[in-house]
Amino acid sequence: MEENKLIVNYIGFYSLVLGLFSSILIFVLSIRSYILKILDKRIFSVSFLQLFFVLTSFTSLIICFLISDFGNETVFNNSHSNKPIFYKISGTWGNHEGSLLLWLLVLTLFLFLFILKSKNELKSYRCLTLVFQQIIIIGFFLFVLITSNPFNYLFPVPLEGLGLNPILQDPALAIHPPILYLGYVGSSLIFSATLAAVIENYVSKEWAKNIKIWILISWIFLTLGIALGSIWAYYELGWGGFWFWDPVENVSLMPWICLTALLHCILVLEKRDLLKSWAVILSIGTFTLSMCGTFLVRSGILNSVHTFANDPSRGIFILSFLFFLILMSLAIFFIFFKEEKKNYHKIYFLSKEVSIIINNWFLMYFLSVVLIGTLYPIFLEVIIDHKISVGPPFYNKLIIPFLILFLIFMSFAPGVKWIRENNIKKEFKLLILFIISLLTSFFIYDLLGKKSLINTVLLSASLYLFLITIKDFFSKELLNLPQKISHLGFSMLILSIILNSILSNEITINLKVGEKFSFKNENIYFESLQNEKNKNYQAVVGIFKIEDEKKNIYQFQPELRIYDQPEIITSEADIKMSLFTDKFLVMNKIKGNEYFNVRYQIKPFMLWIWVSSLLLTVGAFLSLYRRLYEK
Amino acid sequence: MKFTKTIFLLFFLMSLFSESLANKDDQLIYKISKNLRCIICQGQSIYDSQSDFALSMKLLIKKKIEEGKSEQEIYEFLKEKYGEWIVYDTSLDKKTFILWGLPVLLFFLGGAIIIKKLVFRKI
Repeated sequence: MEENKLIVNYIGFYSLVLGLFSSILIFVLSIRSYILKILDKRIFSVSFLQLFFVLTSFTSLIICFLISDFGNETVFNNSHSNKPIFYKISGTWGNHEGSLLLWLLVLTLFLFLFILKSKNELKSYRCLTLVFQQIIIIGFFLFVLITSNPFNYLFPVPLEGLGLNPILQDPALAIHPPILYLGYVGSSLIFSATLAAVIENYVSKEWAKNIKIWILISWIFLTLGIALGSIWAYYELGWGGFWFWDPVENVSLMPWICLTALLHCILVLEKRDLLKSWAVILSIGTFTLSMCGTFLVRSGILNSVHTFANDPSRGIFILSFLFFLILMSLAIFFIFFKEEKKNYHKIYFLSKEVSIIINNWFLMYFLSVVLIGTLYPIFLEVIIDHKISVGPPFYNKLIIPFLILFLIFMSFAPGVKWIRENNIKKEFKLLILFIISLLTSFFIYDLLGKKSLINTVLLSASLYLFLITIKDFFSKELLNLPQKISHLGFSMLILSIILNSILSNEITINLKVGEKFSFKNENIYFESLQNEKNKNYQAVVGIFKIEDEKKNIYQFQPELRIYDQPEIITSEADIKMSLFTDKFLVMNKIKGNEYFNVRYQIKPFMLWIWVSSLLLTVGAFLSLYRRLYEK
Repeated sequence: MKFTKTIFLLFFLMSLFSESLANKDDQLIYKISKNLRCIICQGQSIYDSQSDFALSMKLLIKKKIEEGKSEQEIYEFLKEKYGEWIVYDTSLDKKTFILWGLPVLLFFLGGAIIIKKLVFRKI
C-alpha cells in the first residue's frame, strides 16, 4: 500500500518534469518553424503530450488527496482523513502548490485550444504566439519545480494531516479559484498573441476579431470568479459585507478593469482599424496586472484575509519573472510596433470611437485609484517605514465623484453611431426619466433623514442609467443585444450596491437563551441551543424566532462550528434570502459567560447584486456564442 | 409602466424605512468601529472581528462616546496610541498627498492626451 502511494507521487513529479521537457521542445520547434516559415506538425502532438503530462500530474495530486497520503507534504499540510470527499478534492487547489499546478494545467489547456482554434490564421503569428506562451509556461514549470514542488515526500510518513482551514471548506470557494484562474490565464494567451501580432505587424481588424473571442472568455471567467469570491465573503466570513477593498480583492479587480477597457477598445480596432497601440498596451497591462496580483498574494507582502503559507524565495522568483516579462514586452513593443498614421483624421468628436475612448479614460482612472491605493502603503512602509491603512473611505472618496460622471456618460454613449453622429437625440422622454431619478433619490434620502448631496446625485445618476438601459430594451430596433444585457447588468449592479449600502440596517446585541429583543417592528427571540455532531466538526446551533410586523414567523439557525482539524471555531450565519431583502443573523460566543453576541442585519437588494453580476456575464456569453457559431 | 414601477419602488422603500432609526450612539459605534483596523487580525475591521482586541476596542469606543468625545477626537486618541495604521480613512498630509493626488493628476493627464490627439492632429 505504502509503495503504491509512493508510485503515485513519483508519477506526479516525473510527469511534471516531462511536461517541462515538452515545453522546451515546443519552444524550440516553434522557433525553428518560425525561422523556416513552415508549421511543424510535431508541435501539435507535443503540445498534446504536454497537456497530458500536466493533467497526469494534477490527477496524481488529486489522488494523493483522495487517499489521504500524508507522506505527501502538500496533503499533510492541507488535508485530514475525516474531511468530506468533496473538500478533499477541492483541497487540491486550496493551497499554494496545488493551485500553481492548476494554473499550469489551465495554461497548457488554453495553449492547446489556441492551436486548435487558430488554424485559419497566419503561420508565423501562430508560431510566435506559441513561443511567447511557452516562455510563460516554462517560467511556471520552473517556479513549481524549484520553489513549490507539490510532491515533496515526508519520512517517516505522518499518521494524520493538519487539515484544511475550515473557512475554505465551502462550495463557492471550492470552485472560485479554478474559475478565477481561467480568467487570469486567458489573459496570458491574449498577452502572447498580442506580442506575436506586434512582431508580425498583424494588429488589424482581422486580428481584433479573432482575439476578441479570447478576451470574452477571460472576461467571463474573471467576472464570475470575482463574483463567487464576493458571494463567499458575504455568507462565509460572517461579516455581512461582500466587498472590503481588501488588497487581494483589489488585485483581482485590477486586471478586470483593464480587460473591460480592452473589451471596449478592441471594438474600435475591429470596426475602424484605430487605437492599435492602445489595444496592445491594454493587453500587456492586463496580463502584467494578473502577474502582479500573483506576486503580491504569494509573496506575503499584503496584509489580507487571503493568506497562503509564504516563503520569500517564491516572491523573488515571481518578481524576477514579472520584470523579465515586462521588459520583454516593452522591448518588443518599442522595437517592432509600427503605428499607421493614415487613419487619424477620420475621427469625429461625436462618434462611438470617441465615446469608447472616453470610457477607457474613466476606466483607466478607476484602475489607477485601485492600483495606487493598493501599492502606496507598501512603498511608504518600505521607503520611510511608516504604516498607513488605505481603506474603503479612500476608494469611496476618489471613485464616487467620477463614477457619477461615468454613469451619466454611459447612459447616452452606447447609442452614439460609429464614424459620425449627426443628430443628437432630443427626446423629451429622457428628460422625464432624469427628473424621475432625481426626485426619487431625493425622496429616499429625505425619508431616511440623511442629507448627503453627493450620495443623492450618485443615486440619481445610477437610477437614471438603469431607467435608460431598461428603456433601450423596449426600443423598436433591438440591435446588439449582448451589449444591452451587459450594460443593464452593470447599471443594476451599481444601483443595487448603492441602495444596499444606504438602506441596510443592523443591530448588535448580547443575548442569552430565552431573552428577546425588538428591532424595527420585528421581535427576535432566542429560543434554545442545540448541539450537533458532524463528521469533521461539532456545531452549536442557536434557534432564533423572528416575528415580523405581519406576524410571519421565521426560524433562524446560526451555528458556531468547532472544527477538529485544525481546531478553529467559525460562525456560520443564517441568511433568509428574498427577492428584495436579505435577513442575516450571526452569533458569536462571548468568553466566560452565558451570553452570545448576536448581530442581526436587514440587507435590501443583496440578491440583485448577484443577479446583475450574472447578467454581465450572460451578455458576454451571448456575444461569444454569436462569434463562435453565427458566421 | 415606468411610473407604476417607480411608485411601487417608493412605497416599498417607505414601508421599510419610515421607522425611527436605531439608537444614535449605537450607529456611531458601528461607524467608528468599521473605520478601524483590528490590528491583530488579517485585514478585518474592529466591527467585523470577534477577537479579544476588537471586543475591548468596542468597549473603549463606547466609553469614549459616553465621555462626550467626538468621532474625530476618538480617532486622534487611537492614532496616538496604536499608530496611523489603525484608521482606514487615510488622512491627507505630507506623507499621503501623492496617494490622493496622483490618480486625479493621471485623470487630467489622460484627458490632456486625448484632447491633444483628437484636436491637434495633423490632417
